[in-house]
Amino acid sequence: MASAYGARVLWIAVLAGLVFLGLQLIRPTLTNPPVTAELQAPPEVRAVLRQSCYSCHSNETKLPWFDQVVPAYWIVTKDVKEARAHLNFSEIGKLPAPQQKAALYEAVNMIQLGAMPLPSYLRVHPGAAVSAENLKVLRDYLNPPAPAGAAAAADTSAADAQYKGWIAASNQTLTVKASPNGIEFLPDYKNWKTISSTDRYDNHTMREILGNDVAVKAIAENHINPWPDGTAFAKVAWAQQPDGKGVSQTGAFIQVEFMIRDSKKYASTKGWGWARWRGTDLKPYGKDADFSKECVGCHEPVRQNDYVYTMPLGGQQ
Amino acid sequence: MRVRMKLLAPGMVFLCSVLGCAKTNPRVVTTLNTGAMLNGALPANPIQGRVITSWIDKNAGTMSTLYGNDVAVQYARTGAQVGYPAGSALSVVTWTQKEDPRWFGGNIPAAAKSVEYVTIAADKHYTYQRYEGSPLKQVDQEAGVTPNDRESYLLSQRAAVMP
Ligand code: HEC
Ligand code: HEC
Repeated sequence: MASAYGARVLWIAVLAGLVFLGLQLIRPTLTNPPVTAELQAPPEVRAVLRQSCYSCHSNETKLPWFDQVVPAYWIVTKDVKEARAHLNFSEIGKLPAPQQKAALYEAVNMIQLGAMPLPSYLRVHPGAAVSAENLKVLRDYLNPPAPAGAAAAADTSAADAQYKGWIAASNQTLTVKASPNGIEFLPDYKNWKTISSTDRYDNHTMREILGNDVAVKAIAENHINPWPDGTAFAKVAWAQQPDGKGVSQTGAFIQVEFMIRDSKKYASTKGWGWARWRGTDLKPYGKDADFSKECVGCHEPVRQNDYVYTMPLGGQQ
Repeated sequence: MRVRMKLLAPGMVFLCSVLGCAKTNPRVVTTLNTGAMLNGALPANPIQGRVITSWIDKNAGTMSTLYGNDVAVQYARTGAQVGYPAGSALSVVTWTQKEDPRWFGGNIPAAAKSVEYVTIAADKHYTYQRYEGSPLKQVDQEAGVTPNDRESYLLSQRAAVMP
């Protein structure tokens, strides 16, 4: 009796072992293409990224033995392919310097918000965690001490022309095309209340964040997670325009972006409708409805905060 | 009890490292920016107004937003007259800045440094009021038939383009 049972267990174990070995043969290819244009940054900055990020975000992927074993291998391969498609430190060097910097700012933020390295990966590879000292290396590189003296006055001709055109057309209504995901432009955004402002020195812009009445009521009642259906935010971005005396004024209008809350209608994009219009002619952003993925991707680290970055000013009525 | 907790802790750490417990990152805890609230006996709540424009003083490390009532905003966005008409009420809040905890690369409002009001009465009298401190208290009040230097500066800020 006992031995028959034992034999059965043995058979099952052998079979499972064979299946396991067989599965090892199903291996999607993961190659390391040549490093064509590595990130242009000081060696200490690259060293930090190499330690924590290059296994996925570069063409120099080195997998430890336990990642070579299926099913871990399948997961890692998928992660690496996806990670390279988003951000590849072996190829990013071909982009203009400001774009490389922008990627590094985003990298620091993904680290600080706990989104990168992928938490699932960190649990198995604790050595990839970015230490406080390493994070400081990245931050210090991006934020050197401000140069003494005021920034030179900006050339205001483009912004002046834009302003004149806007004032001249203030009695006309612009026809604005809908966003590729079907969201219509909300021209009344400029009459919403301001809920915060940001000085984005990382890309020399300044923004006002505006909220509609539903948003303002939610702030007044401090019911901001989740935000109620009907909430809408607009974020307006302008170029910072230094006056030569240390003050940056609102320069040319760049874009206005919206997040519109409807947990049913926009369920597939985390309960928010996303839309962006660029330039004074308000050209809708995005080739097709898929552009929302870009928005959701960067707002993902604040998902515990209902995907909203802004901390609204208290004191709304 | 103490002892049992001590034994439990490493177990929890182990479980969390294998299963992944939802740690809350302090940067994303939902909260209002209460530090930037306007406290004090102010004649009007500026953030009830509509935005005209904003600016950043890099030397002082402050950011300001200029708000207006309907009359002021109508003028600022259309340039229909020359100069703000009677009935205009403007206010400016100047905040000190702090790093945005959720976005390295951005600064957001911290404690308010000053709140200023400019009103233009029906007889074209200009009134200027300035509040400072925590809580905000009136530190200046001036009235006259012509704007003072600060009023002139504020009234000359053109509206930010909002198509
Ligand atoms: C296990 C693989 C893995 C590691 C390690 C990893 N990432 Fe990622 N990363 C991904 C994947 C997959 C994506 C795309 C999907 C997503 O956002 O979850 C991504 C997306 C990103 C993005 C968004 C890029 C964009 O434009 O959409 C940034 C920024 C980023 N990672 C930075 C980092 C940094 C910085 C590190 C190192 C500290 C790092 N990642 C480590 C897998 C990884
Ligand atoms: C690279 C990261 C990134 C991408 C991509 C991104 N956002 Fe944001 N978004 C932010 C940050 C950071 C803030 C906080 C305000 C600020 O600093 O400008 C924000 C704020 C906002 C706000 C104000 C409400 C809030 O969440 O704070 C809206 C509206 C918004 N984004 C819309 C969009 C839309 C629409 C898209 C896509 C077309 C988009 N965003 C893509 C980073 C991003």
